[in-house]
Amino acid sequence: MWRWASSRTIVVATAAGLFAACCLLPIAYLLTAPLRVGIAGSILSLDARQQGLLWNTTILGVGTALLATTIGAPLGLALARVSLRGKALLRVALAVPVLLPPYIVALAWTYLGGSRGLIASVLGHDLLSAWTYSLPAAIVVLSLVFYPLSMLATEVTMRRIDGRLEEAAVLVAPAGVVLRRITFPLAAPGILAAALVIFVLSVSEFGVPGLLRVRVYTTEVFTAFAALYDFTRAIVLALPLVLLCLLVSVLAVALVGDRLATGQRVSGAPPLLLDAWRQPAEGAAIGAVAIASGIPVIVLVGEALGAQSLGAVFQGSGRAIVNSLLLATIGATAVVSVAAWLGYARARASARAGRVVDALFIVVFAVPSTIVGVGLIGLWNRPGVVGAVYGTDAMFILGYLARFVPVAALAIAAATRHVPKSHEEAASVSGAGWLRTMTHIVLPQIRLGLVTAWVIAFVLAFGELGVSLLIAPPGEATLPIRIYTIIANTPPSNVAALALLQASVILIPVALLAGAVAVREAR
Amino acid sequence: MTGPAVDVHDVSKWFATHQALEGVSLDVAPGECVVILGPSGCGKTTLLRLIAGLDVPDAGEIWLNGVQVASPGLSLLAPHRRGIGFVFQDLALWPHLTVHQGLQFVLDSLRVSRSEQDGRIQEALTLLRINGFAGRYPHELSGGEQQRVALARALVGHPRLLLLDEPLASLDADLRSAMRSELARLRRELPMTTLYVTHDREDAAVLADRVIEMSAGRISSVNESRRRETRS
Repeated sequence: MWRWASSRTIVVATAAGLFAACCLLPIAYLLTAPLRVGIAGSILSLDARQQGLLWNTTILGVGTALLATTIGAPLGLALARVSLRGKALLRVALAVPVLLPPYIVALAWTYLGGSRGLIASVLGHDLLSAWTYSLPAAIVVLSLVFYPLSMLATEVTMRRIDGRLEEAAVLVAPAGVVLRRITFPLAAPGILAAALVIFVLSVSEFGVPGLLRVRVYTTEVFTAFAALYDFTRAIVLALPLVLLCLLVSVLAVALVGDRLATGQRVSGAPPLLLDAWRQPAEGAAIGAVAIASGIPVIVLVGEALGAQSLGAVFQGSGRAIVNSLLLATIGATAVVSVAAWLGYARARASARAGRVVDALFIVVFAVPSTIVGVGLIGLWNRPGVVGAVYGTDAMFILGYLARFVPVAALAIAAATRHVPKSHEEAASVSGAGWLRTMTHIVLPQIRLGLVTAWVIAFVLAFGELGVSLLIAPPGEATLPIRIYTIIANTPPSNVAALALLQASVILIPVALLAGAVAVREAR
Repeated sequence: MTGPAVDVHDVSKWFATHQALEGVSLDVAPGECVVILGPSGCGKTTLLRLIAGLDVPDAGEIWLNGVQVASPGLSLLAPHRRGIGFVFQDLALWPHLTVHQGLQFVLDSLRVSRSEQDGRIQEALTLLRINGFAGRYPHELSGGEQQRVALARALVGHPRLLLLDEPLASLDADLRSAMRSELARLRRELPMTTLYVTHDREDAAVLADRVIEMSAGRISSVNESRRRETRS
């Protein structure tokens, strides 16, 4: 039972307060800015330039959502319904692109298709460079980065479908009909929700369109603020995008809702409907790994090998590398420290409150990074005690908290839901207080979930670019900022070496975590 | 002389290191209702799933109406070609289809012509006394109504063999008794070959022509039921 004076109320309320201060306040500041600066009337009147931006942004989002779903959903179906060999390893390999910062993948594709890229040097003439820096190219790169989201969502959705529902259909219909009439309609809301999330992430993405010279809202917000120092214009540009993201996120959460709830527990493994397709499915999965992860890594390695001295490259960026590692470590720890309690509260909330909290988390995570950056600057760049924080590395930590607490809280909530409430009740009737119950009963049972959330937060923080570029104190840089700012005036081999280093730092903890999960599943 | 409708010959099944069935043999005559009794985990559901083609035996053979449908490690006839109606313990009603759509899905799959479908659906709904529920989704039905829908779905395709896997297990005592009487009525009106898995002796007493008891993956005894003795 909740009591106002209980330790649970105090801890969860403190975490909720921090969430409000770090995550909600910058967005609220931005949303209310038009009223303060007297431009409320001009927000929704789009000039020709804005209409072009809206068109480009929409095409980028819709195109990426469609292409990523076209690639990801069949792979998710294969993972869920075909007995693939080495499935656990294949799943991790297929998921790798979503873990890499998107601009690193984009960088690799510019080295492949650019005027002095690999394809041009092999063919002897420039074939693809005009296409490499274009809206369609941005769609392809973002689709290769985000397809794992559709894949994993499809697999999870299909695994949640009661196997008996398909077995009942298998008794009267062949596999193709069962998939079309039973499996896909049941999985459709999950697949569609993933497509909407991909849409939001694509229109929120800054690095890829920035690198491929595609004009969209996020790049214009950045330019308005960082290049032109025009805060008002940045807000005017940001608000339609924020509203679009909020709307689509709410739609995604509503879609997932309770539509799949049958009131019955999921029982029995589903029939392997597509086992005859094992070899083609394995071929497609390996092809996807090769195209989405293999080619970019090989291109970066090939480019980096041209560097005169890798030692000198790393030494020249040593401060940025150390900064990134340190800030991402502190940031991930801070994120999990807040998210753990929010995740617990989410897991123990009623169904209705839980849906509201899920929507809030997803909406906050969906706000584009450059917009969060503008909000943080508006909030913290002022005289007095608050201003003392601005201009220090603490801004990076605030940026990580603002962006990544929601996703970590959702991961921890998912882990906490596996701990039966009766475990807490048993501890409670045995005389343990709530904090003791948490530290001795609940947290030990979700330690893998906590580690997973920490790794997710570390990976995201280590690759964070949009907020960091805006709020970085003078003279301070992280590795993503360093890479992004030296692209134009540094030999590609040096940039590729740094990009590879960044990719390695991200993939090593992920590989260790995947190993831990595999060992746990094998037990 | 007509052969058995179901002929299970020396069938074994393992799940990893656990042997669920060990050398089980059984035959069921056309029109006969055999009730398989036994405690949880004795292998009775596994036996039903092997006959339906949802799993394959590791040893032994399964024949339906004189056609071999399974051999060791192989399904020789796909489940949807075996002419089986199956009622699952948890009913497995498709949540995105109304009662009518669910029955229509079965008939579509069996390639029953549209002109014939309406009559068949009405027939099934009337037989199970659920005419008023055709437009409803499963979650809009009570437990007893869902049970009837599951039965209607199993029967609408006019199967040659009806398999029931503890269909009354999730019902309370009153509803269970009512549904048992309903099943007895159906048995009288549709004397089709039936295999009924349960752990409730009351079900066996009311419905069975023959009772087979299973224990630890084996058939431990076979009894002609009082129902058949009375009838003969």
